[in-house]
Amino acid sequence: MADQTTATTQAPEETGGLPQFQFQHWAGQIGYLLILFVALYVLISKVFAPRIRRVFDERARVISEAITSARAVQTEAAAQADAAKRALADARASAQKLASDSKAKANAEAAEREAVLESDLAEKQAQAEARIRNARDAAMGHLSDVATDAAQAMVEKLTGAKTSREAIAAAVAKA
Amino acid sequence: MAADPIEQFKIEKLVDFGTVNLPVFGKSDLAFTNSHLAMTIAFVMVVGFLTLATSKMQVVPGRWQIVGETLFGMIDNLAESIIGHDGKKYFPFVFTVFMFILAMNVLGLMLTFTVTSQLAITATFGLITIGLVLIIGFVKHGLGFFKLFVPSGVPIVLLPVIVLIEFVSFLLRPVTLALRLFGNMLGGHVALKVFAGFVVALGAMSAAGGVSLLGLPGAALSLSMVVALTALECLVAFLQAFVFAVLTCIYLNDVVNLGHVH
Repeated sequence: MADQTTATTQAPEETGGLPQFQFQHWAGQIGYLLILFVALYVLISKVFAPRIRRVFDERARVISEAITSARAVQTEAAAQADAAKRALADARASAQKLASDSKAKANAEAAEREAVLESDLAEKQAQAEARIRNARDAAMGHLSDVATDAAQAMVEKLTGAKTSREAIAAAVAKA
Repeated sequence: MAADPIEQFKIEKLVDFGTVNLPVFGKSDLAFTNSHLAMTIAFVMVVGFLTLATSKMQVVPGRWQIVGETLFGMIDNLAESIIGHDGKKYFPFVFTVFMFILAMNVLGLMLTFTVTSQLAITATFGLITIGLVLIIGFVKHGLGFFKLFVPSGVPIVLLPVIVLIEFVSFLLRPVTLALRLFGNMLGGHVALKVFAGFVVALGAMSAAGGVSLLGLPGAALSLSMVVALTALECLVAFLQAFVFAVLTCIYLNDVVNLGHVH
């Protein structure tokens, strides 16, 4: 293996050292490189860079335009959503008002009907009470008659004396 | 096959244009080499990819566009987060550096030649970056550029030392930029070649039979190392391009926003 490597490194080398330090080749390479470099610089700065820069700017413009229009649409949508929300709130408020109004109306009607009914009933009750009182008075009147009769009969039976009906009636009424 | 792990970095002349004497570089070979070829392919790759990615630009991206936009957006965010709103101005430079290095790194994993493992190339990238930093610094701030070496709020006694340290660290920036990329690509590809060489060497050895059959598990192990290293190198290829871009942004930020913290 050692033989092999020494054999391979013994390639003929006319000047020795690195070929990079054979200075007779420098001028030609440097001059050519400078020419190519200047050519490439001119091409890039005059042709390629402006082309790419243009498309970069255009892209930025397109994107910013899209963003602006999207913002506008967004604000518009927000305004519309606001309006819709307001309309909804209005509708709800009017519906609530309507509901409370009709409720109040119904309540008032009911109260009115109730009052009418109540007065009607009170009247009927008063009439009935008056009837009852009359009947009771009548009954009470009959009762004193009956008592007077009974008392007269008892006095006659006990005493045998004829008593005046008026005296008995007065006594019964006193009792 | 020779398995010299260094041979992959050799510059081969494909078309020779002869030799000239240049002031700084001395005697230089002018040729269309495999390095030039790989650079060209990387360049065509980047341009082709970006053309494909940006040919039919749509607000809703297609497949190629989304890849292009991801890379673009990544470097764009990087530049903007480090440099600030001036980042857009320097983005093309950072993006060029990033894409070119990324293409060269990725290409190095597929071809036999890696451009970014050539110190000449990484040094050039480092010098381009630091050159731009210097130019921006002097154009924007004039001599105020030297305030870069004088951090505010330092005691006057420590100032000479701090200024010296800051100055040296500034000088080392291109060096570290170049060496980091160069070292990563060089090391990764050498390791790949070494382990791949083991596979061949141990496999050939075990062909002799007998005890040398023990070479087979070694070869298998080396092969699995090659697979693992290739995966690692894919990460490194991207990461080094990204690191280079990040550091470029940081160095640019130093001079663009000189004197005011942000």
